[in-house]
Amino acid sequence: MLKKSKMSMLALALTSVMALSACGSNGNNDSNSTSSDSSTPAANDASTATGGIDTSKEVKLKMIFVGPKPVDYDSVFTEINKVLKEKINATLEGEFLDWSDWAQKYPLKLAANENFDLIYSANWAGYNDQALKGGFLELTEDMLQKYMPKTWAAMPSVSWGQAKVNGKLYMVPQNNGESVEKLILYREDLRKKYNLPEINSPESYATYLKTIAANEKGIVPFEPETGDWKYHNLDRILLKQQNEWNMFDLDMPFAYKLDDATGKVFNVYETQEFKDLLVYYKDLADNNAWSKNVLNSKNDHQADFKAGKVASITHNNGTLGSLITTMQQEKSPYEVKLADINPDKKKSVAISTQNGTSIHATSKNVERSLMLVDLMQNDEQLHDLIMYGVNGVHYTPAGDGKYAATDKSANFTGFSNWNFNSPLNLTNEAFPQEASDLVKKWEGQVYHYSLETFVFDNSNVKTELANLGNVMLRYAIPLEYGLIKDIDKGIEELNKQLKAAGLDKVQAELQSQIDAFLANQK
Amino acid sequence: MITFWNDLKKYKVLLLMLTPAVIFYILFAYLPMGGIVLAFKHFDYAGGIFGSPWNGFDNFRFFFDSGDAFRVTRNTALYNIAFIIINNLLQIFAAILLFEVGGKWFRKIIQSSLFLPYFISWVVVGAIAYNLLNYDIGTVNMVLRGLGMEAIDIYNTPAYWPYLLVLVSAWKGLGYGTVMYLAAITGIDTEMYEAAEIDGANIFQRILKVTLPNLYPTVIILVLLAVGNIFRGDFGMFYNMVGNNGLLFSSTDVIDTFVFRSMMTSNDMGMAAAAGVFQSVLGFVTIMAVNYAVRRYDKDRALF
Repeated sequence: MLKKSKMSMLALALTSVMALSACGSNGNNDSNSTSSDSSTPAANDASTATGGIDTSKEVKLKMIFVGPKPVDYDSVFTEINKVLKEKINATLEGEFLDWSDWAQKYPLKLAANENFDLIYSANWAGYNDQALKGGFLELTEDMLQKYMPKTWAAMPSVSWGQAKVNGKLYMVPQNNGESVEKLILYREDLRKKYNLPEINSPESYATYLKTIAANEKGIVPFEPETGDWKYHNLDRILLKQQNEWNMFDLDMPFAYKLDDATGKVFNVYETQEFKDLLVYYKDLADNNAWSKNVLNSKNDHQADFKAGKVASITHNNGTLGSLITTMQQEKSPYEVKLADINPDKKKSVAISTQNGTSIHATSKNVERSLMLVDLMQNDEQLHDLIMYGVNGVHYTPAGDGKYAATDKSANFTGFSNWNFNSPLNLTNEAFPQEASDLVKKWEGQVYHYSLETFVFDNSNVKTELANLGNVMLRYAIPLEYGLIKDIDKGIEELNKQLKAAGLDKVQAELQSQIDAFLANQK
Repeated sequence: MITFWNDLKKYKVLLLMLTPAVIFYILFAYLPMGGIVLAFKHFDYAGGIFGSPWNGFDNFRFFFDSGDAFRVTRNTALYNIAFIIINNLLQIFAAILLFEVGGKWFRKIIQSSLFLPYFISWVVVGAIAYNLLNYDIGTVNMVLRGLGMEAIDIYNTPAYWPYLLVLVSAWKGLGYGTVMYLAAITGIDTEMYEAAEIDGANIFQRILKVTLPNLYPTVIILVLLAVGNIFRGDFGMFYNMVGNNGLLFSSTDVIDTFVFRSMMTSNDMGMAAAAGVFQSVLGFVTIMAVNYAVRRYDKDRALF
């Protein structure tokens, strides 16, 4: 018995080793044979097919999405493929990278040069980086005009501009400017219970947090989102929006003022604004507004909020709106509300690279891939299929740009189809009115500034950036969560460490790129 | 040549048994060594591992320019030394106890329960630790408060962590090491024990004069093997126990976690490879030195 199982174990081990080695060598062959001519097929195709586009040969396209494979993938994609076959003689196959390990797998898909045509791309998924490494195909204006005429007509030129890396385009961005600003979601029932004033300023929010901390045992007033953030979870609201700065996706210790036409970059941690905010945070921390071990918490803040364990969280409008919708559908006993605690400040639109589609550098079906994106964004039938699933099964149209969710809605959602966002998007009927109203209000407050399309090329200062990130994590984060007793000393130490990590060099590089960018615009 | 074939024939069963291990090491240790070149290259997708342009020692800069290189290297080495010494002592101790304690069933049950933690993933261990130790609702602090004592803020106090990590590592590795040492003890010729008993040796004398000297070769080999990895931090352990808590980095940051954090955002394969090469070179030097020292001291005990 024992012997047998050992033999089978050995057999299993051997087969897996062989399978691995086979995979490895195949992958290598692939990359060797295709990488050498990576840029040529596109160029050739574009030049030969001058007349109408030849779609006589059926092609299979493969696209990589982020997020888990939806339950009803098969049924919806069958429908999609029926339409695609008819329109561009192509079929689409999706591959899905689960949220749990997409960040590791995503670069590997490109590095291993796997065989696929399209890939979901986004600034938060390392778009710039992957583009500079040569993972994506450069898209020329000719290609766009030729293969995606509808998109070319519909997309604002700002969106194309924002998606350029070093002046070259590697992405078809989403065509639906969503707001990047964050909101606060809180428990209205608790606010009423303690007769607190309306939450519409940092001060009233602080009062709310402190009251909860003092009176509601077992409820954590605020819980941050987990992740490798380099700033406090509330900094987007309390530092960036409050002071009307742009902070480079909160990835670096730099910012510039939105209304500063010269785009002068400064070190965030040396400002009085930051110091004032630290006093605010320290006061909150001392009053137990968040867990003392907040840095080690791995809790999902949305789940905890839903369960009533947390009294406020922060996220963007869309996410919080969906959370409210879910809570209402599940008949949650809590009354919740959105708060904009700096309502009069300038709001920025998410840059277009928040969601987008890129073509794999070694794709053999570039034209058909571009045509597919064109359809997905602008063809109502396909757009609705990929975004909401099958009409009547996963959603029912409710007219007036709205749809109603069905009990099967959950079977086709949760993955990155947002790159196909477009003016054709429908909103969930149940989406809270207040969230939609805020979106409308913000649309009127959107502030456009000259550096809106500026993208930092970090290739010269990668080393310094890696080290700066480490310093921010080690010295800035504990400081912001009020875990360091002496604020002045903390700031001093932080800035000393940042200087040692190469702050000045990165700042100079950033400033020179901004200056060049602005000079170019004139 | 003839002798080679003869040997091959003679040892064919043994060689066959060795084959999977050889294949494994060729595939997963020798072939990937080619990837070392990446440490000296500026990686891009079009060029791949071998076609990317060279950039000299640029990739090593981030590690040494950070000012943290010394701290994390020291942490890695010190933690591993502590792990090696404490874990081995505990494992030998547990193995001897188990060997001397009678009762087949009792021994089996103890052995299995010692082994259990070895199978728990570090992610789970990290979660258990958080639930035990956190300030607000951790079991430890609940008990302390219940007894009227001050709660201790473990996750914000770096000083506790070296002890805590050593403890967790010992707890998790105990069963595995114990089984190895127990096997070595079981392999000791029972006649020696009988002879010792006839000569009137009591249990402590038997342990000191028979068991321990016979364990010595096993200890040396296991320690030597462990020393080769002295500059590799156990990433799973450090990352899951400490996470991204910057307050604790001063006493818990090891090379692997440091590199992971730096590379999470920049995603630069060349820099990651450079850190790996740095660790390998240090490990190589250490194992050569230690092996040399052992050989000077006792030729038969050295690895090679």
